[in-house]
Amino acid sequence: MISRYTAEIGTATLAAGLGLAAVIGALEFGIGWGDAGPESGAFPFYMGLLVVGASVGTLVQATVGRKGLQSVFLHKEEAVRVASFFLPMAAFVVVSLLLGLYVATAIYLAFVMWTQGKYRLVVSVASGIAAAVGFYLVLEFAFQVPILKGPLEAALGIY
Amino acid sequence: MDNFASLLHGFGVALTTYHIILMMVGVLLGILVGVLPGLGAPNGVSLLLPLTFTMDPVAAIILLTSMYWGALFGGSTTSILFNIPGEPSSVATTFDGYPMARQGQATQALTLAFLSAGFGALVGVILITVLSTWVAKFALRFSSPEYFAVYFLAFASFVGLGAASPFKTIVSMGLGFAFAAVGMDTVSGGLRLTFGFNELLSGISFLIAVIGLFGIGELMITMEEGLRFDGIRARVKVRDVLKTIATLPRYWVTLLRSAAIGCWMGITPGGPTAASFMSYGLAKRLSRRKEGFGKGQPEGVVAPETADHAAGSSAILPMLALGVPGSATAAVMMGGLMIWGLNPGPMLFIERPDFVWGLIASMYLGNIVAVLMVLATIPLFASILRIPFAIIGPVIVVVCFIGAYTVAGRPFDLWLALAFGVVGYLFKKLDYPIAPLVLAMVLGDKAEDAFRQSMIMSRGSLSIFWSNGLVTTIMLIGLALALGPVLSTLFGRLTKPKASSAVA
Amino acid sequence: MLKKTSWLLATAVAVTFGGVAQADWKPSKPVEFVVTSSPGGGTDNFARVVQSIIAKHKLMDQSVIVTNKGGGSGAEGFIYTKMAAGDSHKLTFGTNNAYLLPYVAKLAYKADELTPVAAMALDEFLLWVKADSPYKDAKSYIDAVKAKPDTFKMGGSQSKDTDQTLTSLIQDATGAKFIYVPFQGGGAAGVQLAGGHIDSNTNNPNENAGQWKAGAVTPLCVFSPTRLQGNVKVTATMGWSDIPTCKEAGIPIDKFQMPRTVWLPGGIPAETVAFYADVLKKVSETPEWKEYIERTSQTDRFLGGADLKSFIADDDAKNRKVFEAEGWVVR
Repeated sequence: MISRYTAEIGTATLAAGLGLAAVIGALEFGIGWGDAGPESGAFPFYMGLLVVGASVGTLVQATVGRKGLQSVFLHKEEAVRVASFFLPMAAFVVVSLLLGLYVATAIYLAFVMWTQGKYRLVVSVASGIAAAVGFYLVLEFAFQVPILKGPLEAALGIY
Repeated sequence: MDNFASLLHGFGVALTTYHIILMMVGVLLGILVGVLPGLGAPNGVSLLLPLTFTMDPVAAIILLTSMYWGALFGGSTTSILFNIPGEPSSVATTFDGYPMARQGQATQALTLAFLSAGFGALVGVILITVLSTWVAKFALRFSSPEYFAVYFLAFASFVGLGAASPFKTIVSMGLGFAFAAVGMDTVSGGLRLTFGFNELLSGISFLIAVIGLFGIGELMITMEEGLRFDGIRARVKVRDVLKTIATLPRYWVTLLRSAAIGCWMGITPGGPTAASFMSYGLAKRLSRRKEGFGKGQPEGVVAPETADHAAGSSAILPMLALGVPGSATAAVMMGGLMIWGLNPGPMLFIERPDFVWGLIASMYLGNIVAVLMVLATIPLFASILRIPFAIIGPVIVVVCFIGAYTVAGRPFDLWLALAFGVVGYLFKKLDYPIAPLVLAMVLGDKAEDAFRQSMIMSRGSLSIFWSNGLVTTIMLIGLALALGPVLSTLFGRLTKPKASSAVA
Repeated sequence: MLKKTSWLLATAVAVTFGGVAQADWKPSKPVEFVVTSSPGGGTDNFARVVQSIIAKHKLMDQSVIVTNKGGGSGAEGFIYTKMAAGDSHKLTFGTNNAYLLPYVAKLAYKADELTPVAAMALDEFLLWVKADSPYKDAKSYIDAVKAKPDTFKMGGSQSKDTDQTLTSLIQDATGAKFIYVPFQGGGAAGVQLAGGHIDSNTNNPNENAGQWKAGAVTPLCVFSPTRLQGNVKVTATMGWSDIPTCKEAGIPIDKFQMPRTVWLPGGIPAETVAFYADVLKKVSETPEWKEYIERTSQTDRFLGGADLKSFIADDDAKNRKVFEAEGWVVR
C-alpha cells in the first residue's frame, strides 16, 4: 500500500530530476543574453530551473500538508491489477526489441487473453497469431510501412 | 466574383465518377491511418504519394486531400472512444469527448465531433474560395515577431485553465518546453539536451508523448479501476445519431467562434493542433458552464473539432499560394505537387487554375463525402466498446506501440512511449494537468525559434514585438488573455488560502 | 521523339552490355531509400523522383521503400546508415551535409564511415533581393550593405549550413557585413523576402522560382562558373540564362554549388556500389530526370567513382576553411 504522500514526494522528485537534467544539459551552451538575443542554452536552462523550483514547491506543499495526504494512493489489489497490466506490457517492449513487433504482438496477445481473459490456450494463441498476421497485412501490404522485425521474419524470408 | 466562376469550373473538373470513387477510397484509407495513433495524416499522405506518380495531378491531389480528411476524422474517433488521440490535433477532443463516451454518450460525442468538424472544414474552404487573394497577401505580412505573437496568443488563451495546483501546472508546462528543446536547434545549428545519445538527436516526438501520456497512461488507470470500459453499455441507435444532429444548432456560438479561430490559425501558421487547444480554452472561458468542461461537456467536443478542421483546410491555402506549408501534411502534399510538375507559389493560381479550383471544389465534395462516411461508421466504432477488455485492452496496447514505432521507425521510441505512459499514469492520479505539457511540446520549439529569430533581426531589442500594428495587436490580446485569469486566480487564492492542498 | 528513341537505345545497350558486367550482385530484398530530410524537403523530392523513375522504367527488380530520417538536420539518417554497416539494401540520399555535418555538431558518425555512390546533380545558389528594392545589380547591393554594416538582413535555411556558409564567403570576398537570420527552410526564407522582412537571401532556384515569376523577388546573380541553362523567359524580361554569374557581377566567388549525393553504409563490396552507381546513372539518363533538373534549375552532373571522390575532397576542404574561420568546428 502506497500513501498519497509518498506518491506526491516520489513524483515531485522525479520531475525535479528531469528539470535538473535540463539545467545541466543547457549549461553546456551559453545561457546569457548575447547581442543576438538569448543564447541557445538560455531557454532550456530557465525552463529546467522553473521545473525544479515548482517541484520544490510541490514538495514543500506536500510536507506541510502531510496530514491531509494520508489517504491511500494505491490499494494492494489495485497495485496487483496495475502490475498485471504493466509487467506484460513492459515485457512486450523487451520482446519487440529482441524478436520484432509481430512476434511480440502474437505472444503478448495470447498471453494476456489466456491469463487474464481466461480464454482457452488454443483460442488465445490462435487469436494472437491472427492479430499479428492482420497487422502485417494492413501495415506491410496496404501501407507499405516496414516495422521492426526479428529473426523469425528473417528465417521466413519476409522483409 | 471571379472566384465563383472559377469554382463552378472547378466543380466541373472534380465531379466525375472516377474522382468521387477516389474520394471514397481516400476517406476510407484516411480513417484507417487516423485511427492508428502515430500513423497520422502526414504519414498516410506520404505513403500514398508513390502511387500517385503516374496519376493525373487533379486525381492525385483529390486522393491525397480525401485521405487527409479521413485521417482527421479517424483521429477524433479514437480520442473519444479510448482517450487516445489518433492525430496530434485531436488531443483537445479527448478532454470532453472521452468523458462523454464513459458516460455512455459515445454516439453523441462522435456525431457532434464529426458534424462540427465538417462545419469547420466547410468554413475553411469557403474562406479559401472567397478570400484567397487577400489571404495570400495578408500571410506575407507575417514574420518571426508575428509568429511568436501568434504562438503566445495560442498559449495565453489556454493556460490558467483548470483548478490544478499552480506548481503542478508549471511543472507540466516546463517539462513540455524542456522536451521540445531536445535535439537540433535551428537558430544555433547545435544539438541540445541530447547528452550524447543518438536516440535523442531528432528530439522527442510529440506524438510519442501523446501516445504514452494519453493512450498507455489511460489504460493503466482503466486497469487499476478493474478491467472494463464504462462505455460498454452504450447502445447505438440510428435515432441517437439523428437526435444529436438536431441538437447541433444549439452550439452555433461555439461553432462560429471556433471556425474563426481555426481559420486564423490555419492562415497564420499556428496550425490545427494549436487551433484546437486555443478554441477549447476560449470555449471554456467564455462558457457559462465552466465546471462542466473536462467532465463531458458537448461544447468541449464541438470547439476543438471545428477549429481543428477549419485550420486543417485553410492551411492548404498558404501552401498553394505561397509555397509555405501550414501543417505537416501540407508539407508532404507540397512535395507531391513538385513531383507532379507543379510549382506551389503565387503563380499556381494563374498557371494552373484548373488544378487549383479542381482541388478547392474537391475539398467541398470530399468533406461532404467524409462526413457521410464517418457518420455511417459510428455504430461500427461504438460497438468496439462492447468487446471484452481482456481482448481490446491488449490490442490497444499493441496499436499504441506499433503506432509509436511508425512515427519515425526508431526502436528507442518504444521505451519512450512506455516511460511517458508511466508519467501519464502518475500525473493523472496526482492531478498534474497534462494539457499544458502537450501544448508546450507542440509550440515550444517553434515559439523559441520565432523569438530568437526576432531577436537576431532586432539586434536583441524586445521593442520588435510592438514595432507594427499587427504584432502589437496580437501581443496585447495575448497579454490580456494570459494575465486576466492569473490575476483573478491569485486574488482568489489570497482571499481563501490553502484550500487546494487537501484535494485528494 | 528522336531524343527519346536514342535514349531508349542507350538504355537497351547499357542493359545488355552493362548487365553482363554487373551480374555479380543484385538486391535480394526491397531496398530502403533513407532520406535525410523531412517529407517535402529538397532531398525528399530528390529521392522520390529517383524512386519514381526506377519504378517507371523498372530499373531494379526489387521494390523501393522510402523512409524519412531528417532529425538533426539529417544527422539521424546518416547515423542510421553508419549503424547499418555491411547492409547492401540501404541507399541514403543527402547533400554535402553528409560530410559537413560532423564538423559543426558532435555526431556519432564520420564521413569516412559512409560509402559514396554518386552525386547526381548540383543545386545552384543565387543572390535574391525583393523585386521593388532599389538594387538592380549585385554590385550596387553589396555597396549599399558595405555602407551600412550590420543592418541588412540575409535570410537562409538553418544555421551553419550552406546558406550561412555562402553568406560568410560573400562577406569575406567583399567586406560587406550582414545580419544572418536562420529560418526553418529555404521556402520560409523565400516568403520572408517576398514579404520584405529580410533584405536578401541565397535560395536555390527552385525555392524562389514561384516568387520570382510572381514578381515578388528578383535574382541579382548566380554563384556558378557559367550562366544557367534555359532560354525560356521566366518573367516578361528575364529568364534563368539572363542572370549574370556573381563573378561577372562583381562578387569574386567563382562557384558555390550543393551536390545531391547518394551513399551506402560502410563495408560494402565494390560490386554492390557499382550496381547502384549503374542504376543511378541510368536514372540520370531518363527524360524524367532531365525534366526534374530543368524544373528545379539545377545543374545536371553525374559523378561516380574517382571523380566523385575528388569532388568530395575538394568541396570538403573548401567548406572546412569557412567553418574554421567562423569558429563553427566542434571539438
